[in-house]
Amino acid sequence: MSTGPSLETLLGLEPGGCCASAYDSPAVRWLLGDELHPGGDELSRRLAGLSGIEPGGRVLDVASGRGRTARLLASEIGAEVTGIELSPQSVAAAQVEADAAGLAGRVRFLAGDAAVLPAPSGAFDAVVCECALCLFADKDDALAEMRRVLRPGGVVAISDVTGEAGQLPAALLGPAGQVACLADALPLDGYQALLDRAGFEPLAAESHDGALATLAERVEDRLRAARILVGATEYATAIAEAIELVRVARRAIAAGELGYGLFIARRPALANVRPPRLRSAAGTVEGA
Amino acid sequence: MDALTGRTSHDSVFLELTRSICPVCRRSLDAEVQARAGRVFLRKRCPQHGEFEALVYGDAERYVEIQRYNKPGERPLRLQTEVVEGCPRDCGICPEHKQHSCLGIIEVNSGCNLDCPICFAESGTGHQPDGFSLSLEQVEGMLDAFVEAEGEPEAIQLSGGEPSIHPEILDMLAAAKARGIKLVMLNTNGIRLARDPRFAPALARVGVHVYLQFDGFKDSTQLAIRGRLLQREKLRALDRCAAAGVGVSLAAAIERGINDDEVGAIVRFGVEHPAVTGVFFQPVTHSGRFLDFDPLERLTNSDVIEAVARQLPEWFREDDFVPVPCCSPTCRAATYALYDGQDLVPLPRLVDVDDYLDYVTNRAVPDLDVRTALEGLFSASAAGGTERTGERLECVACGVGLPAELQQVAARGFMVVVQDFQDPYTLDVRKLRKCCVAEIVPDGRLIPFCAYNSVGYREQVRTQLSEAARNGVQ
Repeated sequence: MSTGPSLETLLGLEPGGCCASAYDSPAVRWLLGDELHPGGDELSRRLAGLSGIEPGGRVLDVASGRGRTARLLASEIGAEVTGIELSPQSVAAAQVEADAAGLAGRVRFLAGDAAVLPAPSGAFDAVVCECALCLFADKDDALAEMRRVLRPGGVVAISDVTGEAGQLPAALLGPAGQVACLADALPLDGYQALLDRAGFEPLAAESHDGALATLAERVEDRLRAARILVGATEYATAIAEAIELVRVARRAIAAGELGYGLFIARRPALANVRPPRLRSAAGTVEGA
Repeated sequence: MDALTGRTSHDSVFLELTRSICPVCRRSLDAEVQARAGRVFLRKRCPQHGEFEALVYGDAERYVEIQRYNKPGERPLRLQTEVVEGCPRDCGICPEHKQHSCLGIIEVNSGCNLDCPICFAESGTGHQPDGFSLSLEQVEGMLDAFVEAEGEPEAIQLSGGEPSIHPEILDMLAAAKARGIKLVMLNTNGIRLARDPRFAPALARVGVHVYLQFDGFKDSTQLAIRGRLLQREKLRALDRCAAAGVGVSLAAAIERGINDDEVGAIVRFGVEHPAVTGVFFQPVTHSGRFLDFDPLERLTNSDVIEAVARQLPEWFREDDFVPVPCCSPTCRAATYALYDGQDLVPLPRLVDVDDYLDYVTNRAVPDLDVRTALEGLFSASAAGGTERTGERLECVACGVGLPAELQQVAARGFMVVVQDFQDPYTLDVRKLRKCCVAEIVPDGRLIPFCAYNSVGYREQVRTQLSEAARNGVQ
């Protein structure tokens, strides 16, 4: 029996290649949906609300993919959004979609690496990064870059897979697991520690494990649909392998070993200067 | 009681005021729809026979939530009656009715080769002093009336009694086909299919879809619902249909405490059997012969949906079942699924049906062709495995961008339907006026099915037909 294409090939992963290419593959986009990240638009709105992004606010979306969140922030809030994405195909496709949505003046996309953001220092009021930080090889570098491009007092908003990578089932740590943000996942306090090290002040942290469970179920449903479709062809082995992988992940989510988190933090307003405190007429600290 | 004011609270939420009938004397009454303890009840009071209350929906949250699936109805091309006494006494269809008829039903006889304890049509094997058997000519006249009202009718079901024992049944089915009715169904217990090897091939030649009563596998189920052990005959009937290429929908009458634990097994059996293209679950109707029951503990649509999801968690969630918009959304729910005889994936997992079938929330529909196709699929005129259903499924699959090859698989979708018919306890004219299942009677009236069974029309028609039959004999 022919072994058929591997799961990695189906996902569009080239040997030694980068995950961003997988998100360009039609198969992966069909599996994950246009929103491509847990929680979809709803969680993007939550993230924007917690970050205090305002009309006219300058926002950088790191790993902006096909630009769905960038368009959402521009059309629903009225922000001025720059998206940065490693994959040139995604950059081109995102610009076409944003232009088609009549957002040409307010949303633009650049090809670039999160480790060396192609943006001037202090240029943004907010940086968002959805379900991508754990894909970056050097997370400290990426966060340092995000801090650099934020103005003092600017806010970084990150959503990502949470979990104790060392304790996850081995099956989840292969290349496909890497695409799914699993292999490098950190626990909630791991992300907090990263942000702390990069010099951010924490503002909010939330668990959204249900969003990951929903997405994983969606992926399994679609893989099962694909298995019904391909029947006993050469693809059957790879699809069966993928279904098993998702089931392992779903069990880990159900057991609380894998989850999804939202983190909002601020670049301190000005180094070594405390924000001014209001004083009442009597000269005492208000509320004291 | 409020300690300050002394006022006491009602124990229920008053949702709607509607009209119903007294289950004893059948006079029309005001009725209240109330939510209590998470369930929905219909409550009414007859000045002569007192208070009546019946469970109408087992999940109050879902009941309220799915009202947005209430699609504006379409007027039929022809009405048969005028408004004289008010709903539900002018049926036929009258000008107050809000929907045309997706599905017509003709009961061709009252004779049967079974004596089911649950029969709402009061049919049976014995010599019936008041029975009837329609002629081919009568049925042709009724089909013509249906065509006049509908233009191009979608679906008809010949029923009974047991229609397969009518000597002219094949001609009647062919007459329906000849009038261009797209889906022609035979509602049968399967006994003739099992015993007469020529019958399934004959149905295949006419192009008939079989609606086969199939209530479960346990002996206790068979005895309680049909009065006899029929499993072997059902299986033989199904195998003959498979061999002849006749598509079959399994129709299961479900009753609490009798076979509500078998719904999952029935779906699984259907998915695995080559002849079966869908399953219709019908909570047992408490009209006709089956009157000894507790209206507060009857089974409703949401209970059946919940049971399917609980018994087949690897295949179904409750939200895979879509409220059917052509009738009242609480009357019928359906889903389609991709399947290969082993695994099954409900179509709503791949298509966000809610984006298309919300008629109350003011929002843009992504694709109107997809909406039209979904409306055809989630309708009383649809059955799994038919050409028309296949075309519509393919249209939906294409419209939402499923991969091309998957569209072909989707086109062979397995259908699961849950359909709660009303009885004299649960009758709610608000739902009745939207009813799209019509009993076609010999004088050409199209009577909403639940009115036919609950209000007294069935008895009237039977008396007329029996008298005509006696006079004819004399």
